[in-house]
Amino acid sequence: MSSRDHTELANPFDRSSVSRRWWLLGAIVTIGLLPLVFQDSYWRTNLIVCALNVMLAIGLDFILGYAGQLNLGHSAFYGIGAYVSTLVITKLGLPFWVAFLCGIVLAGAAGMALSMFAVRLRGHYLAIASLGFAVIVHQVLVNWISLTQGPLGIYGIKPPPEIALPGLPVISFGNSANMFYLVAGFALLFYVLLDQLVRSPIGETLTAIREDEVSASSLGINCPAWKVFAFGAGSAVAGAAGAFYASSVGTLVPDAFIITESFTILAMVIVGGMGTLIGPVWGAILLTVLPEVLRGFGDLRLVLYGAALTLVVLFMPGGIVQAAQIVRAQFDRLRARLEAG
Amino acid sequence: MSDDISGRVAGQADGRRNSDKVLFRSKSLNKSFGGVHAVRDISLNIPHGGVFAIIGPNGAGKSTLLNLMSGLYQPDSGTMSLDGVDLVGLKAHRRVRLGLARTFQKIRLFKHLPVLDNVIAGFHIHHDIPAWQYVLQGTAFRRDYARCRDEARKLLSFVGLEERAKARAGSLAYGEQRMLELARALATSPRLLVVDEPAAGLNAAEVEKLLDRITQLRAGGMTVVIVEHNMDLVMKVADRVLVMDYGQYLFEGAPAEAQVDPGVVAAYLGA
Repeated sequence: MSSRDHTELANPFDRSSVSRRWWLLGAIVTIGLLPLVFQDSYWRTNLIVCALNVMLAIGLDFILGYAGQLNLGHSAFYGIGAYVSTLVITKLGLPFWVAFLCGIVLAGAAGMALSMFAVRLRGHYLAIASLGFAVIVHQVLVNWISLTQGPLGIYGIKPPPEIALPGLPVISFGNSANMFYLVAGFALLFYVLLDQLVRSPIGETLTAIREDEVSASSLGINCPAWKVFAFGAGSAVAGAAGAFYASSVGTLVPDAFIITESFTILAMVIVGGMGTLIGPVWGAILLTVLPEVLRGFGDLRLVLYGAALTLVVLFMPGGIVQAAQIVRAQFDRLRARLEAG
Repeated sequence: MSDDISGRVAGQADGRRNSDKVLFRSKSLNKSFGGVHAVRDISLNIPHGGVFAIIGPNGAGKSTLLNLMSGLYQPDSGTMSLDGVDLVGLKAHRRVRLGLARTFQKIRLFKHLPVLDNVIAGFHIHHDIPAWQYVLQGTAFRRDYARCRDEARKLLSFVGLEERAKARAGSLAYGEQRMLELARALATSPRLLVVDEPAAGLNAAEVEKLLDRITQLRAGGMTVVIVEHNMDLVMKVADRVLVMDYGQYLFEGAPAEAQVDPGVVAAYLGA
């Protein structure tokens, strides 16, 4: 799974909670400042897409990087979250936040169901089963016209309702900055939740399953049950991203959740660094911003994007996190040499 | 041996021991793979405490028997129980909670994880904190977290690997990997520890060390089952042996008697 070959491993559990608090504060400040730096609507939309992709990437990483389950159907959970939350509002007339919860729960339940059906499958076989699941979900969205309006799509989806607290100005999510704060705030919340889980014995258990299932069960670990748990948690986060996608874009078409979306999310996880939570965050940001920056290259854009991806997989299989480790090690060596004179 | 480990083991053996002197019992176990009858009609009574060895030439069905005991395979027919609890149909991970732990002949460590984390994974069934503590990580969580690391370090020092706690498990020497597997299995606090060919690939000094640890575990009250084809090793450590050949029962009794049993001698020398 990993290509790290140095003998002494830095234990991620050793990082002090104090430094984690500073990182959290830094993240909150950054989220607060970003819409002030990017004022035009084009970049603000990209900011929201970044936050959505961060949610998708950390959810997939929990399933793939920690529990080691090769899930190629993440776009399906994203789509289920988006359509369920929208339909609960339009067909049942329930408020947004109820619909939001329904999207999370149903996407999570779909993930658990897939994992239960695929309980005997692993590696390539699970990849194909989950890919098939994504195709099925997409086809249902296209063909169940009475419910989803098929390829015509659903239009005019409203943003989340305004928050009016007494004594404070009304917070409207029609405003792109507020919408970004909402989505990024939830992305951060899910990040912290998953981060706590992977730093707990649950992280140890999932990693054991990823490394060797026979060994894990010889230590009393119920592998199928924990895989269902990982799938449920990871796909529930994707469901939340789906609900925010629908309410921020305002339009829903099945092709937004086509299987290539699964591969894009997978690329974010791999480029960032599987099996670390912070890596996929950077991967999601990079792979959201990079295509936009490359727009100037016209048709060459996708070639450059593909070439960059291939280079990362070939030369930096640990992704951005591995690159950062190498840079830090070089820096420490240089500093040690300078101090030694 | 560190007092903590012998104390814990002894305490457990005393606490759970019932009037029955037999810890593990099997009756007429059978397992076939296609046309190969790997385990044929094996009945066993493994008493509480002591070292019980299962020996036999290569291909005698020892490892299959062990995999039946640990739940990796289910038997075609026959019964098994641990301290009176029926094991047939029970999955491997459930048997660990009953106090059955094992190591593997072909080492199966979590190779990419640090040595210490390999042992910590063995505490999976011993985290007794409420689920919400995993998210909020309050005092109970931190106490459990510290306790696991503490006990994992004790187990590492028991097998002589405390210096290598941060090394990647896959980077250890072969003999060290075997000792780490032993420490990881001990983390589950077993009553019955099953060790599959522990001496395979070890040099003489490493075998000595391993035997010494097994002797210490026995002194602490643990029941140890060793699957082995090395007769010398078995003679040194075992209280009782079961000899198998072609999946069948050949002999059961004291090691010294096995050595002079004509059937056993014939199986080993091919006479």
